[in-house]
Amino acid sequence: MRDILRNPAGLAGTMLLALVLGAALLGPWLAPYDPQLFHASSRLQGPSAEFWLGTDQYGRDLLSRLLHGAPSTVFFGLGATALGVAAGAVIGVIAGVAGGRVDSIIMRVLDGLLAMPELLFTLLIVTFLGGGATQAMLAVALTFTPGMARIARSSVLSVRTREYVLAAIARGESRAWIVGREVLPNALGPIIVEATIRVSFAIMIGATLGFLGLGAQPPSTEWGLMVAEARQFMFRNPWCVAVPGIAIAITAMGFNLFGDAMRDAFDPKRNRS
Amino acid sequence: MTLAYLLRRLGAIAIVMAIVTLAVFGITMVLPGNAALMILGEHASADSLIALERQLGLDRPIWEQYLDWVWGVLHGDFGMSLRLSLPVSQVVGTAFWNSAWLALIALAAVTMVAIPLGALAALKRGSVWDLGIGLFAYVGTAMPEFVTATLLLILLASPEWPILPAGGFVSPSENLGGFINHVILPASTLGLILMAHISRQVRSEMAEVLSSDYVRAARLKGLRGRRVVWRHALPNALAPAVAVISLDIGYLLGGIIVVEEIFAWPGLGRTLIYALQNRDLPVIQAITLLLAVVYALSNLLADLVIAWLDPRVRHA
Amino acid sequence: MTGPGTAPVLDVRGYGLVYDTPEGAVQALADVTLSVGPGETHALVGESGSGKSTLAWAIMRHLPANARDVSGTIALSGEDILAKSPSQMEALRGRRVAMVFQDPSAALNPTMRLGDQIAEVLMRHRDMDRDAALAEGEAALARTGILHPEQMMRRYPHEASGGEKQRVVIATAFACQPELIIFDEPTTALDILTAQQILELFLRLRSETGVAALYISHDLGLVSRIADRVSVIHEGRIVETGPVSEVFRAPRDAYTRKLMAAVPRPEVRLAVPEPDAAEAVLKVRGVSVRYGEGGWLARLIGQGPAPFYGARNVSLDVRPGELLGLVGASGSGKSTMAQVLSGLRDFSGEVVFDGRSFAARTDFDRAYRRDVQIVFQHPDASLNPRQTIGTILSRPLRLYGLCPTGRLRARVRELLEMVLLPPEFANRFPHELSGGQKQRVAIARAFAAEPRLVICDEITAALDVSVQAAVARLLTDLQRRSGAACLFITHDLNLIRQLAHRIAVMQRGQIVDSFDVADADAPDRHAYTRSLLKAVPLPAEFQGESP
Repeated sequence: MRDILRNPAGLAGTMLLALVLGAALLGPWLAPYDPQLFHASSRLQGPSAEFWLGTDQYGRDLLSRLLHGAPSTVFFGLGATALGVAAGAVIGVIAGVAGGRVDSIIMRVLDGLLAMPELLFTLLIVTFLGGGATQAMLAVALTFTPGMARIARSSVLSVRTREYVLAAIARGESRAWIVGREVLPNALGPIIVEATIRVSFAIMIGATLGFLGLGAQPPSTEWGLMVAEARQFMFRNPWCVAVPGIAIAITAMGFNLFGDAMRDAFDPKRNRS
Repeated sequence: MTLAYLLRRLGAIAIVMAIVTLAVFGITMVLPGNAALMILGEHASADSLIALERQLGLDRPIWEQYLDWVWGVLHGDFGMSLRLSLPVSQVVGTAFWNSAWLALIALAAVTMVAIPLGALAALKRGSVWDLGIGLFAYVGTAMPEFVTATLLLILLASPEWPILPAGGFVSPSENLGGFINHVILPASTLGLILMAHISRQVRSEMAEVLSSDYVRAARLKGLRGRRVVWRHALPNALAPAVAVISLDIGYLLGGIIVVEEIFAWPGLGRTLIYALQNRDLPVIQAITLLLAVVYALSNLLADLVIAWLDPRVRHA
Repeated sequence: MTGPGTAPVLDVRGYGLVYDTPEGAVQALADVTLSVGPGETHALVGESGSGKSTLAWAIMRHLPANARDVSGTIALSGEDILAKSPSQMEALRGRRVAMVFQDPSAALNPTMRLGDQIAEVLMRHRDMDRDAALAEGEAALARTGILHPEQMMRRYPHEASGGEKQRVVIATAFACQPELIIFDEPTTALDILTAQQILELFLRLRSETGVAALYISHDLGLVSRIADRVSVIHEGRIVETGPVSEVFRAPRDAYTRKLMAAVPRPEVRLAVPEPDAAEAVLKVRGVSVRYGEGGWLARLIGQGPAPFYGARNVSLDVRPGELLGLVGASGSGKSTMAQVLSGLRDFSGEVVFDGRSFAARTDFDRAYRRDVQIVFQHPDASLNPRQTIGTILSRPLRLYGLCPTGRLRARVRELLEMVLLPPEFANRFPHELSGGQKQRVAIARAFAAEPRLVICDEITAALDVSVQAAVARLLTDLQRRSGAACLFITHDLNLIRQLAHRIAVMQRGQIVDSFDVADADAPDRHAYTRSLLKAVPLPAEFQGESP
């Protein structure tokens, strides 16, 4: 962890993450106004003393809506990634450990699933699930699963041929021991790093789905949905689309920076500054 | 790169396409609601629903629908759009070309800008250039298309200051100038994000090549700096860069869907969204298959380019 | 050779170099003085981390940005190099000072033809046009003994063998007739026989061109055969320098003496006493290992790769308490045999251990796996980085039930003592130990199981010279105490002659020769054995009479 903070990118990422996670955890309580409350006389205003980030087309305070929507956006990303990583890691580890025909079959299926562009896959699944925040999370998790399975598999494969694993096999250790005590502890690193970077993708896709009306539904204040709702007014008050948009970007950047710094910390060879 | 290799790859693509179409059909088995429901609306009577379903062939078992469809595709017949009552090939045909133009323009711009940028950043490590390009890359990869599009629209297409049109499409055969005018914003939106990602990858590959033993050996032979970069470093960084670009094409194909929707560009993406909203199965199938095939073929093309660039792969 | 009047080609005086790191300034070289006269070969001997390569970079002025010259001068034929501008250095490199690297695969551009890589030096420094440069390049290749130079010119690096690539690198270095060539361990990455050929090439070219050479190496035996003078470098300082015969016969510095002592000398026997048992504990009968069957589709089209034999019909015996040496070049199949016998690879044939017969990998049971232990080559990779040394060592004890749980910690301490490591290492992680220490832990782990046979797969190859000797001694010591047999795999013939009772020689997957160690020099040895023995140089002085 210390290595991550020492890296300037990692430090920036950690700070952004802290900001964003703080907003996600405490946002709804910190919001100065009720996010659904109309202030009819103050519609489409820019930032002011009264409304720090301005108001939207119904006069609702943007800052409050932003803070209120933080959990939906951020936890969507975390949840979808966690599910996708869990499922993918299990499949990938099984493929990597079993080898032989099981591995070949799993690889073929993964290749098939990965042949589709990711957003397309997610769109299909979420459409047929009917749209909505939970369905979108499931769809993103399913989309991530093959990619994470691939990464888990390759991580396991690279550890499997290390000499300390061979030593364990030569000793006659049981399968369970070899996988659980020798392979997994050393294979998890790259998986976790990739997972962290994936969270930013999940957040972006979640926001995109919200934007397209297939993810979070009104009256949620998910950030992508905020942009969609305010789209027709974006020229009259650019703040109402810029604010949630930039918030999404900052969140994604935070996870990206943190994930990259983590990757550097895990793999000293890449430390070139 | 032998004929056997090509045949094997094409065969693998065919198998993968089969899995993809199966997957799409499988997804529809879980669906609540179907095309008949979308056409007649929520308050339709059960009888009229059943009648329409029979008319559209939706009452047959799923596997029969699937095999029927596959048979048709193998004969070049993609069926009829359930919603529009037009042949799918007609619906999809023009849309395909519109999307293709957009994608190719974006890709060309990206390649011409991102690769030199990335190489430049690696050459001038730690300089203002490197940091600037790095920052651009970080910010760019954190912005979803709709955010970039919205910001670009606010900046360049606002009613007070309409430098560029906010959306729509003009065919190049009608009016080339108009086409260019309308394609700039959507292509830039698509391109910006790709540029950020690719320049970052190129930078990292180039940096690795520049610190390799053979580049060091070349410098120790006293070769001039320019030759070392152009003849020793760049060619070895290009092959991995192409590999990355080929993966990004998947991202491009996804991004096109959102961009076309925002800019009202009548391509595959917009058509797909419409088809999804209406549960228009044959259209969904056709577009999905098309996009997957394009992705697979572009990966194959990228592999061929890599083999041309890197003799080690060629002889493998 | 260097008389007092001849000006040296390379003159380094009191040179010091420092790296500026976040943790402070690190001294890489301090007060380095050496000189190379015209036509002289000056060897620079040191272990890893001694600074020998750093000195080479300093002479070529190719240093990272955080390197700083802090003292001294470096002069090439009288000209001060430290004062040269970058563009002057660029013109100088390759033209007046050239370098030959350790790993030819890494030093050649993988996407450029070999001919172009030679020609570009000629075009740059001797102003030749492309055709002339290619013709001259081909002639240079021919001079290095390559049989079909016009073909080699058109090949890519991955289409050439290690020896061929190194010849290309050497040809490139000699191409512009430089005053000085720096050789950085040019034979370390090659197998013994190829290394021998490259060495002979070096001697021939040196006498043909009279070039001055700075030859960097860790191999004292090699150095004694080719160098006129030698400097020993240790932790960035030159600790001894002088004519080869003097330094080798009477080393003055303690470190030099330690290095000398560590060179394996066949007549110094380290082996345990000859075992008297007649019945072998391990009998290998007709074991073969096949790789690369190829996909059925490929075979159908007739394009499948030919199956490759890692081992072909191998038979050997090991008696209890005996040390059998298994030698051969890389790819000869010795590691394959190690994997077969430790139950890591499928095989056909029969392995008989202690009277029990095993015909397939799946036949090996827990008892066999306990009785037969293996120690690997790379100390970094053979210990799980996330387990403490204590956990690693206690594992075999727990697995085989050799020790009640209460006694585990005490036993682990005993094991550490047995391999001469302090007991507090039990709480450390592998990355906190040096290579030699990790290898000791790996050996302790093997002996912890109280095995009947220990397989050592090149266990000293990745270690420094001085550490190698200590590890070899430790092994025989443990062998003596436990009475275990040992199958010692190596390519270092001098070392194996010290340790083994019998030696088997492998080539291309087959055993081509097998003999008692005393008969190593006998005339009825297989031709391959004799070429291997010839290829391993001993310091000339050690061979009894001075040359």
